[in-house]
Amino acid sequence: MPESRSHTRTDPRASTELQLEDAWRVVVLNDPVNLMSYVVMVFKKVLGFDETKARKHMLEVHEQGRSVVWVGVRETAEAHVFTLQQWHLTAVLESDEAR
Amino acid sequence: MKRVEVKLSLPVVAPLLDVIRELSTELQKSLAAPQALHDLDQDFRGAWIGDLLASQNEDLRALLSLFDGEFFTEGVVAFDESNAEPIVRACTAFRLQLRERRLKSLGDEALETGEIDMSGLDEPVRKAFMCYLFLATVQELIIQHLDSTIIGS
Repeated sequence: MPESRSHTRTDPRASTELQLEDAWRVVVLNDPVNLMSYVVMVFKKVLGFDETKARKHMLEVHEQGRSVVWVGVRETAEAHVFTLQQWHLTAVLESDEAR
Repeated sequence: MKRVEVKLSLPVVAPLLDVIRELSTELQKSLAAPQALHDLDQDFRGAWIGDLLASQNEDLRALLSLFDGEFFTEGVVAFDESNAEPIVRACTAFRLQLRERRLKSLGDEALETGEIDMSGLDEPVRKAFMCYLFLATVQELIIQHLDSTIIGS
């Protein structure tokens, strides 16, 4: 069975490359309209944050103009961006290459 | 089912409904918050925007339906788990549109702090700003009074 074992073994470099390729960031940008309480509520609802984490990201958006609220595979990142946009937050999808 | 009823001042709120209806018409074919979708291919982008627009219109209808016959007889609007989320979202859509189309002259900083001398405003801008504040109040009411089982988690 050694042959078949070597056939299925994952090359660690390939795995790392795949992980990097698959890393997409959901970024929320500041806007002058949405209330702080609203943004906190949306983060809790859409991303499952607790109050503390939601407030931290809301303040990051407010003070720094943007906050990375989620990182992971593209499909899920797209779903989060879509839902955040449904709530009228300015949310964008960024690949790690754009960093 | 938890339900919040709010008694509004008819003479104050009724004139704002004209503004809200105008905004609703403007928003039927455009998103309140245009989004950058550079990473999506064109077909997917079209479907994405179409879905956002459909969702936005559904929310706007939910907010408009608050101001039906009961509102004009009793001055009362009611929020519960069936309408809280769409109404909160619709308030945001209307506020974004107000800022973009009616309140640009006031500047974002003034809009954010709310420190605006109402007496110095022209009638259409004053009415739009009143509407902007009213919608924020509705949002705050819903967020504060409907617990996390309905909204926020």
